[in-house]
Amino acid sequence: MNTLRVLGAIVVNSVERLGRASLFLYEVLLSSWELLRRFYLVVQQVYAVGVLTLLIILVSGLFVGMVLGLQGYNTLVKFGSANSLGLLVALSLVRELGPVVTALLFAGRAGSALTAEIGLMKATEQIAGMEMMAVNPITRVIAPRFLGGVIAMPLLAALFSAIGVLGGHLVGVGLLGVDAGAFWSQMQAGVDFRDDIMNGVVKSVVFGVVCTWIAVFEGYDAVPTSEGVASATNRTVVYSSLAVLGLDFILTALTLGEV
Amino acid sequence: MNQPRTGAPDSDILVDIRDVNLSLGGRQILKGITFSIQRGKVTAIMGGSGSGKTTLLNLFGGRLKPNTGQVIVDGQSVPDLKTKELYELRKRMALLFQTGALFTDLSVFENVAFPIREHTRLSESILRKVVLMKLETVGLRGARRLMPSELSGGMARRVALARAIVMEPMMIMYDEPFTGLDPISKGVIAKLIRELNQSLGITSIVVSHDVPETCSISDYAYLIGDGRIIGQGTPAEVQQSNSDYVRQFMDGLPEGPVPYQYPAGDYVEDLMSSAA
Repeated sequence: MNTLRVLGAIVVNSVERLGRASLFLYEVLLSSWELLRRFYLVVQQVYAVGVLTLLIILVSGLFVGMVLGLQGYNTLVKFGSANSLGLLVALSLVRELGPVVTALLFAGRAGSALTAEIGLMKATEQIAGMEMMAVNPITRVIAPRFLGGVIAMPLLAALFSAIGVLGGHLVGVGLLGVDAGAFWSQMQAGVDFRDDIMNGVVKSVVFGVVCTWIAVFEGYDAVPTSEGVASATNRTVVYSSLAVLGLDFILTALTLGEV
Repeated sequence: MNQPRTGAPDSDILVDIRDVNLSLGGRQILKGITFSIQRGKVTAIMGGSGSGKTTLLNLFGGRLKPNTGQVIVDGQSVPDLKTKELYELRKRMALLFQTGALFTDLSVFENVAFPIREHTRLSESILRKVVLMKLETVGLRGARRLMPSELSGGMARRVALARAIVMEPMMIMYDEPFTGLDPISKGVIAKLIRELNQSLGITSIVVSHDVPETCSISDYAYLIGDGRIIGQGTPAEVQQSNSDYVRQFMDGLPEGPVPYQYPAGDYVEDLMSSAA
């Protein structure tokens, strides 16, 4: 009976929190319109959230592309289709690895930083101070960070895929001797703009909204103590990662039309 | 002809609290409290930690709503205001937080400029002059390029004070302005509160448990205990009071109406028990 009660409490709390998070998102979206006349606030956040995440994205993209080149070559060469390596690397990156790995890295680097920053602003009464100065913190603090994350994510994913293709080229063409012309031409012929690239872009936009939403909500909802901010940061990384992986399956199933 | 309503713009009373009850987290913080604050004066609200002093400031600023009772500021019932009206009222009041609550990513100059940038469209040259004048008032014009992390506790509070007065509010609420400061900084803050009150003609509400500093600058003082007003008058009258509670607070006695021990069961029984 007690277990049932605990289970019930967990479900009720989760639903209540989801409701609060949804109302919060609604408020953020309403406030976003006001940022059109103060777009510099969003640009600052694209820099903080996006540009400062660039290094980890580029390095990871390069290595993921290089590993894809190695693994892909080893499999394709058994079937005598090593020339399709470029196509394999590009499709893997553009459709799946680009958006997903970028979102996971984004949650770990930028999402956790956003939660910690907003949580600490709350703990040090900066958010309350803003409210008392008749400045809405949702418009001034949350909405620019939300939009910054949503804009940065697809750009980061595109760069991840681009540098990944170069990594695959480096290993496949540079080290393993795949023909450079075949590498690029197969890729050009096989990658479809709408079915592959646009689906990847849609995924990264969805991941951008979800990861940034979770990060800013957890920060704003954090218990204003050091322990509260630490657990909020932890929740941001865990929830964002799980949400990205779950949504990836749903989006892939929808775009392929297999389910 | 109607008498001017208490707390109305044409009345001498700026803040009027009537029979306010408030519970937070299952604990009753305020128990039918009634008092008023005069325009243009420095009013002290003193009391022990957890007596509900800061809660009162949150009621004045509309950050909390009472369970019952009225909170009237400048003729407006604060709990009944819509968000937009509340923000309009807040533009005319300032709250100096205990920590200063400076924005850690902005310099001293930008912190003070923040409310002006948010609420007005002043040109950069006028904005610069206004900010420098306010920083000069608190003696920190030379520190304008520093970041909040480079300031001492007293300096941070002075910057927060400059930011609080930059929009020239009708009232400033000081939440524990002396806590954690050295004697020199305490003296500086006390002097600033008094001088600003006189030079700008604003109403000041000082919430504190530092008796000597607060009494030295206030025109009128309220003493709060157990969610009620337990003493009031000019600082001299409060210091002469014979009430046990007032005496315990003013003289800093460990025993009195406020017990030293947090309520607990029998001591020996507790020691013999194995429960945590």
